[in-house]
Amino acid sequence: MSSKAILCVDDEVIVLDSLKEQLKRRFGNQYLYETAECVEEAWEIIEELQAEGIEILTIISDWLMPGVKGDDFLIQVHQKFPDILTVMLTGQADERAIIRAKEKANLYCCLYKPWNEEELVQIISSALK
Amino acid sequence: MEKQQQSNTYRGDILVIDDTPANLRLLVNLLSRKGYKVRALPSGRIALAGIHAAIPDLILLDIMMPDMDGYEVCKQLKSDEKTREVPVIFISALHEVLDKVKAFSIGAVDYVTKPFNAQEVIARVETHLENKFLQERLQLKNRELSQTLEELKTAQEHIIKSEKMAALGQLVASIAHEINTPLAAIQASSGNSTIALDEFFSVLPKLLKRFSQAEQQKLFLEFLQRAIQKSNSASPRDKRQFKRNLTTLLKSEGIEAARRIADTLVDINIYDDIEPFLELFKDPDVEWLLQIAYNLSRLQTNNQTIIQAVERASKVVFALKRYARYDQTGEKQFVQVSEGLETVLELYHNQLKQGITVIRSHQPVPAIEGYPDELNQVWTNLIHNAIQAMDNQGTLNLSIFQQDHHVVVEVGDTGYGIPPEIQDKIFEPFFTTKAVGEGSGLGLDIVKKIIDKHQGKIKVHSQPQQTLFQVWLPITEAQLS
Repeated sequence: MSSKAILCVDDEVIVLDSLKEQLKRRFGNQYLYETAECVEEAWEIIEELQAEGIEILTIISDWLMPGVKGDDFLIQVHQKFPDILTVMLTGQADERAIIRAKEKANLYCCLYKPWNEEELVQIISSALK
Repeated sequence: MEKQQQSNTYRGDILVIDDTPANLRLLVNLLSRKGYKVRALPSGRIALAGIHAAIPDLILLDIMMPDMDGYEVCKQLKSDEKTREVPVIFISALHEVLDKVKAFSIGAVDYVTKPFNAQEVIARVETHLENKFLQERLQLKNRELSQTLEELKTAQEHIIKSEKMAALGQLVASIAHEINTPLAAIQASSGNSTIALDEFFSVLPKLLKRFSQAEQQKLFLEFLQRAIQKSNSASPRDKRQFKRNLTTLLKSEGIEAARRIADTLVDINIYDDIEPFLELFKDPDVEWLLQIAYNLSRLQTNNQTIIQAVERASKVVFALKRYARYDQTGEKQFVQVSEGLETVLELYHNQLKQGITVIRSHQPVPAIEGYPDELNQVWTNLIHNAIQAMDNQGTLNLSIFQQDHHVVVEVGDTGYGIPPEIQDKIFEPFFTTKAVGEGSGLGLDIVKKIIDKHQGKIKVHSQPQQTLFQVWLPITEAQLS
């Protein structure tokens, strides 16, 4: 069984759902895919996966969400788990947040909604090499 | 203005009308010496005939004249718009009976008596000329002021319009996000559907030959039925729980790839009651079979996603169109206040959902007569202020109800509140508590002006954690009945 996971965080279920489908179709059984509607839920999943000994390879997080924003979340993730690759997904150009995330969360890449599937796949493939 | 500038040389243009040549001469000499420009005419009729060619600043007018007396001349001067403002001083001989009441009632400003006391004549002329010039200056100032007022009104209309578009400008980023989210979902879902369909067709021949037993085939078809039956309505959190339950169940059945199978089952909206299909999950080709179900089910789910996303995007575009509309006719229309309020809420949807609960309590109310685009601006300002006052966290209470021949709209927030000492000032132009660049200070001033234009009123009650703006808009008689 795969013991590596990709976590997607977005407050929009329609986005979350289609993003997961794209990843699952492209990467199939190589990874587990988890989705969270908010940062709080994402932390629960991180803990659960940790407890199960499943390694999280990358987190793809939306920026604009109720409560904690994507850049803050990824910064916290990076502080706790520096090995997790962080990717931000955004529907809105928030350059300051991107710069912050690059500086403090070692942001691997930022994808803009609506993203291109090939671009997503390339980024995740190269990130996971 | 011109006359003032020449005041060093120009003292006034005086017309003397008297049928007695000696009087004329005397007055002309007296006034000319004082620096006035003096014209003399022997009859009222002649004077009236030529007066439009050069309107004097003051007229000295004899009363007793043969062909037309001074009273009549004065009446005609006063009935002519061009000469109405020229002050008339009557000349009256001491032995004549001067009808002072009549003189003043037809518009004379003063009188002098013959024989003339030179100083008195000069004093009276000077006084009335001065009055006349003062009055002229005042009229000029008035004209300037009303022109300025007109310009201000035009400027204000521009400001109202540009404030409206500025409010929209601040929202653009947020609206872009609102549209990009459904676009992203549409793009991803349609791509996924294409792949799903391709995959399905590529496995179809093999699938048709796959089941040797009718029973097996029936089971798989039932499973496919399940896979496309339900809509994708569970939240990610619930799905995780379902996935955990399914994984446990599958594991207990000794199925190795329990977690992956559970993940796919949840993806195709099968959350429980899987016992009838356990046989399928033990099939060596389980992953291949599941993929077929996955492809079919996802076609359905992706379609639902696309429909939802298109609805979302259309709502935003519709709200934008309604908000940006500018009514060229400038005429009042029948307005349901809730429509405008919903338009604005739609535009703020993205900001509101970051941590603000919106509670609506709308009662059915009659339409009011008003300017829908301007009212939208009122709602925009009030909602925008509420969001800022709450720092994006709290409850936005909106109510619409009818009271005392008015439609009342309430916008309440749970923000910091407005300190009592500034509550009187918030509707003043350029009053702002926001940092430079965050607010023009015109928002509530414009709100007040728009509400005034609707003959309505706005009230505010505020204390920390509880601010309520009430907008009262009158319902016309026709709407009440």
